[in-house]
Amino acid sequence: MGWFDATFKTFGITLKNLFRKPSTVEFPAVQRERAERYRAASFALLHDENGEEKCIGCKFCEWICPSQIIAITATPKRESPFTGKKRGYAEDFTINLQACIVCELCIQVCPEDAIVMTRDTEQPGFSREDLVLTMDKLYANEKTTRLSWHTGAGLMEMQNPQRGQEKPAAAGAEDKPA
Amino acid sequence: MSELMLNPWIRALFWGLVMITGVMTVTAWSTWFERKFAGRMQSRMGPTLVGPLGLLQPIADACKLLQKEDLVPDSADRALFNLAPVLTVGFAMGVAAVVPFTPTMLAADLDVGVLWLLALSGLMVFPTWMGSWASNNKYSLIAAMRAVAQGISYEVPMVLAIMVPVIMTGTLSLSDMVADQQKNGWLIYRLPLTGLIAFVIFFLASLAEANRIPFDIPEAESELVAGPTTEYTGMKFGLFYMAEYIHTLLSSAICAAVFFGGWDGPIAPGLHWMLLKSVILFVFLTWVRWSFLRLRSDQLMNLCWKYAVPATLALIPVTAFYTVYAAGKGGV
Repeated sequence: MGWFDATFKTFGITLKNLFRKPSTVEFPAVQRERAERYRAASFALLHDENGEEKCIGCKFCEWICPSQIIAITATPKRESPFTGKKRGYAEDFTINLQACIVCELCIQVCPEDAIVMTRDTEQPGFSREDLVLTMDKLYANEKTTRLSWHTGAGLMEMQNPQRGQEKPAAAGAEDKPA
Repeated sequence: MSELMLNPWIRALFWGLVMITGVMTVTAWSTWFERKFAGRMQSRMGPTLVGPLGLLQPIADACKLLQKEDLVPDSADRALFNLAPVLTVGFAMGVAAVVPFTPTMLAADLDVGVLWLLALSGLMVFPTWMGSWASNNKYSLIAAMRAVAQGISYEVPMVLAIMVPVIMTGTLSLSDMVADQQKNGWLIYRLPLTGLIAFVIFFLASLAEANRIPFDIPEAESELVAGPTTEYTGMKFGLFYMAEYIHTLLSSAICAAVFFGGWDGPIAPGLHWMLLKSVILFVFLTWVRWSFLRLRSDQLMNLCWKYAVPATLALIPVTAFYTVYAAGKGGV
């Protein structure tokens, strides 16, 4: 009579659930904290400690982007007002999120740690234009959204051995003097 | 007022309007109830956003369905296609005419209420078949074939099961049945307890007739597109669903009347008891729906022809012999 018991067990289980607190988190009203390393929303461009734009307009990210959604116009090199060194600047920087596959390759290649992803959950928009991140929006994101921890250098540090280095032969090999 | 109500035409018109409005309203909010209930059974919330506790959700749903584009396939038979959803609601609603809520509150106190009931639920398969045939879609036709096979098969135990109360009370009129139960005890516990078994089978059969889980094979929500109603959009589709809910609600009401003594009960007026019993049965039905899996097609037919039909066939002579025996002893 296995099926007979099972029938009543089924009723029991559903009845028990009926009086249990629902496990639903009512999303738009209540937002759960994202995982620490979550990074899949939008992008931001950063300033350095002097308040100068970090991006030097090297176009590495434009070149590596698999869906070719980054468009950069670079200026000729000129002297930085803060350090006096000659460096490039990006005149225009556009990311079209409509086709972004969130591969974060742009962040990995950035030599200046100028671009990061943000941790804010969704980026819905009412028009296609809302999904095109212009340079202004990207710099505004630095101030208004929560940024994720990972920059190009941050990701590099995670890798052991570091990129371009030989894997150490043994665990103690590095400690020995050369 | 009361003299007017003695005129059967006026009485039918009045109670018909009340019944249609009432049944439509209750149907709308039974969808809310079912979604809420199902949600809580699955540790979800159910509708919450529209109105307090999501209570206005049925209105929102209706508005949504009315706004949808009304599509008729090119190759469809337009007249039949449009007629089917109307008929299905009509047939489902027709059953409401004979449901005895109180001795005075019923649209038509037919002498052959049971026959009317069975005839209309037998007709329920026609709109299904009509709709799928008219939509000229082979998949909906296949689904309709299964629906009709199921409907017709379960018609047999349903008819046989309701013969047991008919024999026990000796009448085909639903209101007389309730009156008899008021006098001699509810059929669900009256000796020789065949009423209980008949109730279980009748309940199962009416579940199967309404194509509800665990018998919703023709229109398996999670797997098939929409079975016989594949080609329907907007409110026409809504009408099929409304018919399903009306059918379910009225099945509960009829079970309450035939097996649970209808308006019979202490203290409170009859209508309250009748409604309470119907609601309890409807809740139980919903509980069944959200507790079980779908049967396989062959299991469905097995259950019908190998268990339900022989069981009811056995019940009828047992009941008949007992009734005659008890009458001879000067009992019932």
